[in-house]
Amino acid sequence: MSEAKIHEPNLAIHVEDLTVNYGSHPALWDVDLDVPPGVMAAIVGPNGAGKSTLLKAILGLVTPTAGHVYILGRPFGEQRRRVGYVPQRTSVDWDFPTRVLDVVTMGLYGELGWLRRPGRAERERALAALEQVGMVDYQDRQIAQLSGGQQQRTFLARALVQDADVLFLDEPMAGVDATSEAAILSVMRDLRAEGKTLLVVHHDLQTVRTTFDWMALLNVRLIAQGSVEEVYTRENLQEAYGGNVALLAATPQEDRPLGT
Amino acid sequence: MLALLTDYTVQTVILGALLLGLTSGALGSFAVLRQQSLLGDALSHAALPGIALGFLVAGSRSLPALLAGALITAVAAALTITLLLRRSRLKSDAAIGISLSLYFAVGVVLLSYVQGSAGAGQAGLESFLFGQAAAMLRSDLVVMSVLALASLALLLALWKEFEVTSFDPVFAASIGLPVVLLDAVMTAMIALAVVLGLQMVGVVLMSAMIVAPAVAARQWTDRLDSMTILAALLAALSGVVGALISATARGLSTGPLIVLALTVITLVSLAFAPKRGWIASSLARRRARRNLHEHQVLDILQGLALRHDDAAYLSEEGMVDSALGVRARTTLQQLERQGLVERDSHRPEEGPHWRLTAEGREAQGNALHSGGKA
Repeated sequence: MSEAKIHEPNLAIHVEDLTVNYGSHPALWDVDLDVPPGVMAAIVGPNGAGKSTLLKAILGLVTPTAGHVYILGRPFGEQRRRVGYVPQRTSVDWDFPTRVLDVVTMGLYGELGWLRRPGRAERERALAALEQVGMVDYQDRQIAQLSGGQQQRTFLARALVQDADVLFLDEPMAGVDATSEAAILSVMRDLRAEGKTLLVVHHDLQTVRTTFDWMALLNVRLIAQGSVEEVYTRENLQEAYGGNVALLAATPQEDRPLGT
Repeated sequence: MLALLTDYTVQTVILGALLLGLTSGALGSFAVLRQQSLLGDALSHAALPGIALGFLVAGSRSLPALLAGALITAVAAALTITLLLRRSRLKSDAAIGISLSLYFAVGVVLLSYVQGSAGAGQAGLESFLFGQAAAMLRSDLVVMSVLALASLALLLALWKEFEVTSFDPVFAASIGLPVVLLDAVMTAMIALAVVLGLQMVGVVLMSAMIVAPAVAARQWTDRLDSMTILAALLAALSGVVGALISATARGLSTGPLIVLALTVITLVSLAFAPKRGWIASSLARRRARRNLHEHQVLDILQGLALRHDDAAYLSEEGMVDSALGVRARTTLQQLERQGLVERDSHRPEEGPHWRLTAEGREAQGNALHSGGKA
């Protein structure tokens, strides 16, 4: 098995035959996904298409029925330290007694390992990440006192301190204000400029073309993947969403650039 | 009082209550934050069959045997709940309810069997229902200390892992933490805290020792570490207070007194805590409502002035009332004190009339400007 461990070394994310069942329904069926390094990739699809599930299955957070995941040429289990994750903001209780800086420091817990406590060095790194997302002034805030966008930026900072090569973001722009959207987007672009790979669950078809350079269309099965120009076609969108997206595909001038 | 503190039994009870409070308060913080407040209740009721089994196996009322039995059945109940949640469509409150009554019923049956069987008349196991602190021995205290210190040490050692799994289990799993295992360890530790309190507080009231300190502590702080420490201290304090009251007032049992002391602390915290307390939040609500009314009244006066094309238009108070929907007098008087409106007293027979002062008009003009309407 060891000679087979290096697999598709030129891909940031390589997923084979990924299938996930929820009860008797397949949530994902036979998904093969290849994401080259250094792109900002969107996973797009209708509600219930399995977008978040795909992210969670890649990260080993739900157990797939079948399939393999390779990150930068090696099985996911060996590459965990090179991966960062921004879960959906609504997945936690924001009334939890903790402050912004504490949440960001949690991004370093994996690296710290058992029995070691975060100290001054970790605090500095967490502060640097907060600086990147424009949240330094909020470091001592209780997290319930943040706006949705600020909460999302806190989560993004937590992923930034992980200093990962491949980042997975689940709807980072859902329900955030314009300021936060711009801040999040600028951080994502900086990461791409540093050569990192981002795979982003994205809910808004309108902004895909102006924001991302690579996309995967998903509706339980993978409909299409590739550069946005190749994939964003009327036929592909119709196959993923059904008939009612014809208009969207036909009117590119209505696209609103994100974060501007 | 001093004489009390040197009394051997009283000392034992106070030390026991202190240890129990520290443990149940600290671990209870995690139970409550993980939204498992009811779990403590299920675990404590499930300890009863274990106590009876421990007695049957050991053949005597040896505390380690009883506690071991209690721990085993409490953990079994936690597993039952997990299984019910995984294998059925039950919600967690129903799963907890089923497990609680099942184990408690088995416990009561076993208890009556033990009471009826030979030589067990002196077992006194029914004291575990409501606790019997006075029955505590120094050797029991040693057992309690070892278990309490062990679980607090484990909590400290795995602090950051418990912190991140309690706040965001999905993220914790993504950084490679064994979340299921950590959950199981935490549940076992909560079970241990419950079991420690059985002799003193009893099966029925023990869940209060888990939930109440955490609820009280949460009111005063926004940080996990200080909340955990405060919960431990509040529970320990209630333990000592309950033990002392029980020692001075003959015949009052310790466990319920501890729980009562704890309840008083919790109610005070819910009412008076500076940010989250009832009083603070109802004051904040009142301030907000008063602010809103002031803005509305200024808008109403301005609207009437605009309609009549007269900046100094005198509006009848009744009109302001009906536009606001409630009596406007208090709000108008507040605004008068701020110099934003003035009352016209020239025609008392027509009832009170009000208008915006120059200052009030200026304030409104600015507000309208920033609000963007007009």
